[in-house]
Amino acid sequence: MAPPDPRKPIADSLPLRQRVLSRVLADGLVVAAVLAWWAMAKALPANILPTPAAVADEVWLLFTDSVYLGHTATSVVRVLFSVTLALLIGGLLAFWPANQPWARGIVHERIKPFLNSFPSIGWAILAVIWFRVSDFTAIFVQVAILIPFTLINISEGLKELDREAIEMARSFTRSRWKVFAKITLPLLMPYIVSALRIAYGVAWKIALVSELFGTGTGIGYLMGEAQQSAKPALLYACCFAIVLIFFAGEKLVLDPLSRRVRR
Amino acid sequence: MKTLAPASASLRAPSYDRLAAHLFTLLVIGAWALAATQIPPIALSGPWTTAKALWAFVGDPNQLAHMGYSLMHVGIAIVVSFFVGCALAFLAHYVPVTALMIHGRISPFLNAFSGIGWALLSLLWFGATHLTVIFSISMVLIPFALVNMKEGLASLDRDLVEMGRSFGRSGLKRFTRITIPSLYPFMFATLRISFGVAWKVALTAELIGGGSGFGYLFDLARQDYRTPILFVVILLIIVFVYCADRFLFEPVQRRLQRHYGTA
Repeated sequence: MAPPDPRKPIADSLPLRQRVLSRVLADGLVVAAVLAWWAMAKALPANILPTPAAVADEVWLLFTDSVYLGHTATSVVRVLFSVTLALLIGGLLAFWPANQPWARGIVHERIKPFLNSFPSIGWAILAVIWFRVSDFTAIFVQVAILIPFTLINISEGLKELDREAIEMARSFTRSRWKVFAKITLPLLMPYIVSALRIAYGVAWKIALVSELFGTGTGIGYLMGEAQQSAKPALLYACCFAIVLIFFAGEKLVLDPLSRRVRR
Repeated sequence: MKTLAPASASLRAPSYDRLAAHLFTLLVIGAWALAATQIPPIALSGPWTTAKALWAFVGDPNQLAHMGYSLMHVGIAIVVSFFVGCALAFLAHYVPVTALMIHGRISPFLNAFSGIGWALLSLLWFGATHLTVIFSISMVLIPFALVNMKEGLASLDRDLVEMGRSFGRSGLKRFTRITIPSLYPFMFATLRISFGVAWKVALTAELIGGGSGFGYLFDLARQDYRTPILFVVILLIIVFVYCADRFLFEPVQRRLQRHYGTA
């Protein structure tokens, strides 16, 4: 059987009957998972597996109850802020050796491997010792975890840049700023968006650890709280709320952005 | 100031940027030593104290055992997630009706699920055991493996597979002699990415859900403010990840690329 053409959406390359079947399988899996969860929750004690309905209630609260919503919103704002900051710092670090070749070793042989192999929980614990429990701590930790990801992506883009286009632009104008804003930046855009995408994903999946240790607010804090005070429904709800927020950011911001950049 | 140096400039002056990198290393160690004289040792352990603690660590079989546990957790999780990721990617590739289920449902869900979420949930399910740690690392790694192998399968040289068919290779032989070798670069890239991400999650998982490994040591050291141990563990991990990347993954990947061309 010929494999589907990867450039087309998966469903389009299949004949109608298979297309229907693939939808049934995909959505059937979701339904089956919820049913299995429900059946297991009946059999297991509620402190290990709460029912889907109980968890759904808590998810609803996370987006409506004023206290919970405060935690949710704090996490969202922190992630957005950290991703932006990491993008800026990573971008500056990537541009440094592009401007001054002697800095290549410093950035790519020292700073990059150091930040890239630094354990994320190491940042979290050290930052709490250094700055106490605060908003700054949470953001510092997230930015420290995200920088290597943005740095790697943007330097990758700088490596692939079309040098001839820049040479040509330079022969038309002497304003370095103009060349940067009109040529370099637009050419880099796909890489910046992919850096953004990766940083956004890592922020929600890994960097949330900063909230578990470094703050008294946010979804990460709520998860630790739920675990310690034995509120499993809230713990499950936090996990699903993160999945929902992650999807929302991807569908509403990142996907439209990458479509625009690709054109 | 130049906006962009031609690529050859950085190639022409390798010793120049290496010298700058070495100077930078010395500068950082100097700054670290200086800072350690100003800041209380509870917040920052200086280079000398850290070196002494490292020596004590290496001589203590108890502590070394925890290092072994961490390596075991990471190793098993990489193998498990690699096989699960490959199995799912192959299934979606060869049975196209399942593609939507796998790439449209399972992969995005796993990709959006937070690492701390897995750690806290598996603690609830399996208690503080090795299984908890290995399970949560694996769950974080599976989407990385799945996405990477999907890329690999999508880029398979269809003409090559066709040719194999026309030379009368049987299905199994075609798979093991042509498909699998063409995927080597992607499999390897998967392992490399997994290794990097695994270390980022492993310590968090061990701290939350296990009584063993570096993460556990971290938790103990944090509770009684033994900052030198924190620094030793961070240092060891940086050295591990850096050396593995530099002396194992990078050379092998370069050879694979030369041999198989793609990726």
